[in-house]
Amino acid sequence: MKPEQREPLLDSGFWRAVGVMAVISIVLMVGVVVFPIDKYFPEAATVSKPIDDLFKFCAFFGAPIFVFINGFLLYFAIRFRRRADEPIDAVGSEIHEHQGLELTWTVIPSLLMVVLAVLSYLVIPLYYPTNQAFASAVTLEAIGHKFYYEFRYPGLKQSVMNELHLPIGIPVTVDLTSAEDEQDVHNGAVIHSFWVPEFRLKQDMIPGIVIPIHFTPSELGTYRIVCSEFCGLGHSHMWGKVIVQSKAEFNAWYADQQRAAASPISAPLSLAGGNPSAGQTIFNAKCTVCHNAAPFAQRKVGPGLSQLFDDPDHPDLVTGKKATPDNVADIVEHGAHGDMGVMPNMQANGLSPKDVADLVAYLRTLR
Amino acid sequence: MSVTEVGLPASSHIHPPPDTFIKKYVFSLDHKVIAVQYFITAGLFLVFAGLLAELMRVQLMGPNNHVLSVAVFNQAYSLHGTAMVWLVGIPIVTGAFGNLIMPVQIGARDVAFPWLNMLSFWMLPVAGILVFASLLFGAPQAGWTEYPPVSLQLPLGESLSLWCAGVFVIGVSSTITGLNFLVTIVKMRAPGMTYTRMPLFVWATGVTAFLSMIATANLSAALAGLFIQHNFGVPFYDVTRGGAPVLWQHVFWFYSHPAVYILILPAFGIVSEVIPTFVRRPIFGYKAIAYSSAAIGLLSFMVWAHHMFTSGLQHWEQLFFMIFTMIIAVPTGVKIFSWVTTLWRGKIRLDTPLLFVLGFLSVFTLGGITGVMLASVPADAQEHASYFVVAHIHYVLFGGTILGIFAGLYYWWPKMTGRMLDERLGKWHFWLTYIFFNLTFLPMHWVGLLGMPRRVATYDPAYAGTNFFVSISSFVLAAAILIFIYNAYRSVRHGELAGPNPWGARTLEWMIPSPMPYYNFRDIPIVLSGPYDYGKPLPYANISQDLAMTPVR
Repeated sequence: MKPEQREPLLDSGFWRAVGVMAVISIVLMVGVVVFPIDKYFPEAATVSKPIDDLFKFCAFFGAPIFVFINGFLLYFAIRFRRRADEPIDAVGSEIHEHQGLELTWTVIPSLLMVVLAVLSYLVIPLYYPTNQAFASAVTLEAIGHKFYYEFRYPGLKQSVMNELHLPIGIPVTVDLTSAEDEQDVHNGAVIHSFWVPEFRLKQDMIPGIVIPIHFTPSELGTYRIVCSEFCGLGHSHMWGKVIVQSKAEFNAWYADQQRAAASPISAPLSLAGGNPSAGQTIFNAKCTVCHNAAPFAQRKVGPGLSQLFDDPDHPDLVTGKKATPDNVADIVEHGAHGDMGVMPNMQANGLSPKDVADLVAYLRTLR
Repeated sequence: MSVTEVGLPASSHIHPPPDTFIKKYVFSLDHKVIAVQYFITAGLFLVFAGLLAELMRVQLMGPNNHVLSVAVFNQAYSLHGTAMVWLVGIPIVTGAFGNLIMPVQIGARDVAFPWLNMLSFWMLPVAGILVFASLLFGAPQAGWTEYPPVSLQLPLGESLSLWCAGVFVIGVSSTITGLNFLVTIVKMRAPGMTYTRMPLFVWATGVTAFLSMIATANLSAALAGLFIQHNFGVPFYDVTRGGAPVLWQHVFWFYSHPAVYILILPAFGIVSEVIPTFVRRPIFGYKAIAYSSAAIGLLSFMVWAHHMFTSGLQHWEQLFFMIFTMIIAVPTGVKIFSWVTTLWRGKIRLDTPLLFVLGFLSVFTLGGITGVMLASVPADAQEHASYFVVAHIHYVLFGGTILGIFAGLYYWWPKMTGRMLDERLGKWHFWLTYIFFNLTFLPMHWVGLLGMPRRVATYDPAYAGTNFFVSISSFVLAAAILIFIYNAYRSVRHGELAGPNPWGARTLEWMIPSPMPYYNFRDIPIVLSGPYDYGKPLPYANISQDLAMTPVR
C-alpha cells in the first residue's frame, strides 16, 4: 500500500508549522542578540564581553535548532498520529533516505562548528598571555591555600589575604598556583580554582604549576572570587573578593599597605579588655565557617570550641601547648596546621589585635 | 515452554535447561536471566543513589543549612555520582539491555561466553558492596572523579581503597562484557544478518562493547596508581616527589569520556528501535544512524581533555580538543535529525515507550546545545565546574540515558516478563518525570552561569530561591519513580498477558514467545533483509510465521 501521491509531500499544514517555528526562532534569536547581559550580570573585565559573545553565538544558533526539533516533535506527533478510524496495521511513508537532506544537516552544523572554533580560538589569547608582548603593567601572584587566597603585589613585602585590589583599566597578569608549603600526607597541597564570575574567567590553581591569566578590569565594584575545584572540607566556604577601584583609591590603599609593611611589628597582642559580646559577633561572622560553639567532637573543619579551656580529654591545643588564653591567642594570630586542614592566620581572617582579644574573651565565656 | 517440549533434534547442540533453583536463578548462564539480575541489582543501586541525591537537595534547600555535615554532604555527592555512572548507568544499558535484547536481535541462542557473562554480572554486587561499604569507614569525598591530591588526603580519603577496589571490579566486569558482546556480534549473527541488516540497537551495543573493551583498561590503570599512592606512597600524583596531579585527570578522562558514550549509545539504540515500531514506518537514515554510532565511538577517544580546559593545558591542546569536541556533536545531531524525520508521515501510536523517546529527543537536544557551549574554550571558562555543568550532565545522562532506559523498559517489559505494563500509570510516570525533570535541572543552568560552583554544601544567599525551587521539584521527580515501581509490581502480579508481539514490531526478539523461551530460537532464523520495512512481509525464513506482526492493541 503506497501512500497517496496526489497531495504534495509537504502540505500547507507543514509549511504553516514551519512558519510558526521560524517566527518563534527569530524572536528568540533577536532576543539573544539584544539581551543586555551586562545590565543584569556585570561584564567587569574587557575579556568578559567577547566571552559572552561566544555564549551568545551558541545560543543564537542553538535556539532555532531547539525550537525546530521540539516543534517538529510536537507537530509530527499530533499531525501524524494514527486516528481511530485508520486500520490497526496502517503503516506510514516508505521514504527512508534523502541524500540532499542528510548532506545538509551534516554539512551546515559542521560549518557552524568550524566558525565557532575559529571565533573561540581568537578569544583565547585575550586572557591567556601567549607571548612576552603581553607582559602587562602589573604581574601579581595568587596562591590558593586551604581555604583562602593569598595575593602578592610587586613592591609589597607582605601578602594580602582574600582581597584582590585592582585599579580599573590597568591590564594585569595574575600568576596562579597552589601553596606547596602545605605538603604532607594529611594536609598536602590541593588543586584550587580562581573563578571571578563577573570577569567570566576561571583557572585552576595547581600545585607545582604556575599558570598566568591576563585581564583588564573594566567596571568598578566588588566581585566574588569562587573556588570551583573541590579542595577539602572548607571548599564550600572558600570565597575571596576582587575589589576594582579607581586609580586614586587603589593608590591610597596601596600606600596604606606599604606603610603597614614599613612600620615595625606592633607590641605583642594584649588580651586585656577583651569584650566577650564583640567577640561573639566576630565568632559568628568568621569562625563558624569552620568551628562550632559546641564540644570538641562536634567538628566542622576544625573542632568544636565550647570547652576549649577546660576539656579534660584535650588539655593541649593543636600546637601541643597548654590551653591557656595566651596560647589560644597565638593560634588565632599565626594560624595552625591540624589533622583536618589549615587554620589561616589573623591577617587572612581579617582580624585586628583588638578582635583577637575580643575573641579570646568570648571563648572563655563558653562552657 | 522448554526446548525438550518442542522436540529439537539431538544434533542442534542444545543442552537441557537447568533444573535447580541455584542454576536457574542465581548462577544462571542464560543471558535473559542475567539481564534480569542486572536490572534488579542496578535498580536497587539506582534507588540508593537517588536517595543520596535527594539528601543533597534537602541540604541545599537553603543556604547555610545544617541538615548534613559538610563531610556527609561530600560523601553523598561522591557516592551518588560513582553509583549512577558505574553501578547503575553502565550495568543497565550494557549488562541489562545488551544481554536481554542483543543476542536475540542477531538470532543467537546466547552470548559467546556465558560463563564470562555470569562472572561479569556477579562482579556488580561485589563492586556495589565495596563502594557502599566505604560509607561505614568514611566514604571518599572528592566527587565521582576523585581528583588527587585532595582525594588522597585524610580524613577525606580514609576509605579510598574500598572505593578504588569497587570501581576497579566494575571496570573489569565492563571490560569482560565488552569483549563478550563484541565477539557475540561479530561471530554469532544468524545467516543472512549482514552488518547493514542488524537492528540499530545491535549497532549501538557493538560500538559500546568496543568502547568498554578498549577504554576501561585506562580507568584500571588510573585507579591502580591512586590505590598504590594511597597505600604505599608511590607518588604518581604528588608534585613534590616528581608526580603530577594532572596525570590522573588525563588518564581518568581518557576512560571517562568514552564512558559517557558507553552510557548514551545504547540509549540511542533503544530510541532507534522504539521509533520505527510506534511510527509504523522504516527508520529514516539507517546507515547514517549506524555509521554515526561508529564515528562517535572513534571520536570519543579524541575529546577527553575538554574536561580539563581550566587545568592549564597548552593552547594547541585546547584547540585540538575543542575542535574534536565540536566535531563529535555533528554525528549526534545527524541521529537526532534522522529520528525526528522518521516521525514525518508515520502512523504514530503515542504509547508510553514512544512518549519517553519523544521526551528524550526534546531534552537531549538542549543537552547537546549546552555541550557545544562547553566545548568552546573561552565560554567554558565561565561554565566549567559550575552548576551549569551539573545541569548539562543531567540533561544528557538523566534526560538521555535514564529516559532512554525507561523507554526501553516499557518497550521490552512484555518480552522480558510476558505481561504488559499499565499504560495509564506509564503516562503519569512519563509526564511527571518530563515536567519535573525540566523544573529540577533547567534552573541549574542560570545559577551556574551566575557563579554557583558545584560540590558545595552551602552557597551565596542570592541563589536561595532557585535552589529551594530545584529541591522541591527534585522531590516530585523522585516520587515519579514510585509510580513505575508500583506499575512493575502490579504487572508482574496480574498484568495483561502480552503475547509474542504486542507492539507489532519486526526485529527478531518479537518473533519468539514472551517471555522468551530457554535458548530463544528452536531453529536459527535466516535473515533476508533489513528489520524496519513496515508494510512489507517479514524478512525472515525458518521462524514460525504464525506469530502476529500487527499490533495487538
